[in-house]
Amino acid sequence: MDFRHNILPLKNIVFRTALRIVLNREEAEDIVQDTLVKLWERREELGKVENLEAFALTMARNLALDRKEKMDNRHVTFDDDVHDRPDENTEGADKMLAHKETTGAIAQIINSLPEKQRTIIQLRDIEGKSYQEIANTLSISESDVKVTLFRARQAMKEKILQKKSFFL
Amino acid sequence: MDYKYIEQLIESYFACTTTLQEEQILRSFFSQEDVPAHLAQYANLFNYETKAKEEVLDEDFDERLMSQIEAAETKAEEVEKPRIIKLAARPFAERRFLGIAPQVFTPFFKAAAVVAIALTIGRAAEHAIGEQEAEEKGNVVAVDPYIKTSDVQQAIRVKDVSQAEMKATNDSIINIATKDEIQ
Repeated sequence: MDFRHNILPLKNIVFRTALRIVLNREEAEDIVQDTLVKLWERREELGKVENLEAFALTMARNLALDRKEKMDNRHVTFDDDVHDRPDENTEGADKMLAHKETTGAIAQIINSLPEKQRTIIQLRDIEGKSYQEIANTLSISESDVKVTLFRARQAMKEKILQKKSFFL
Repeated sequence: MDYKYIEQLIESYFACTTTLQEEQILRSFFSQEDVPAHLAQYANLFNYETKAKEEVLDEDFDERLMSQIEAAETKAEEVEKPRIIKLAARPFAERRFLGIAPQVFTPFFKAAAVVAIALTIGRAAEHAIGEQEAEEKGNVVAVDPYIKTSDVQQAIRVKDVSQAEMKATNDSIINIATKDEIQ
């Protein structure tokens, strides 16, 4: 097991998947670091792992869900702070608005889906993974993957058609 | 131009009945310049799917990660060192005492153990006999003050004999232990 050859090449797919879950670049980068370091620390067990990429993605998703939970909890206090000191937070709000504009309408649609749906969209439509690989990564059944993907694509279609009629 | 095939693929895509290859065909189709107007609404979606895969980490990420890996390695080594000593602690036979190989001491330790066992058994036997004797003597004196002195002496002699027997047993235990040691 060589870090540069076996583990480091997973960084970008892990990054994109983590980013789709936490929706924050810095957090996603931290998750990639944590995931790859953890993989390296467990390198002796990795010989038994059938699909290293899926293994890494599962690990990254678990880390991402943990962080997201913590971030969501922090946001509650953030909101509380807004009531007390509204002036100090305007800069952050502006940044968030600018960020939304650059990510584009489709990104917004996908990112507004529930986490499981948008992670499956990421793995299927962006990374081109099979149902089996996705099921393996998320530790769910293939039919669960298909049902969730169906809901996600239907939601996207609906929103795309809404936008179209809105602009026409 | 007929777009029936593409239209059908789009419909299958939203019904989740397309294969990975068919989904790739859709992305390739929408990546071309002139997409017919009635399908243009889906162009953003499939183009986004293509574009989103190009999202990568910054250039300096590798450097930062490698330094973290190295730091983790150093830390792991530091943690492992005392563990190595503990796990690889030399077996007793290899350890030296005052610079003398332990093999030299081994017979002494064995002899010491044999002596300790013999003493323990001996003391225990003596103690038991002594108690019994005292009890018997006490009983004899207390219960029957008119008993003949010769009877008491006889009793004591019997005890002496059994004590001698006990000693013989002790000797044979020592013999067995010594034999074991020789073997």
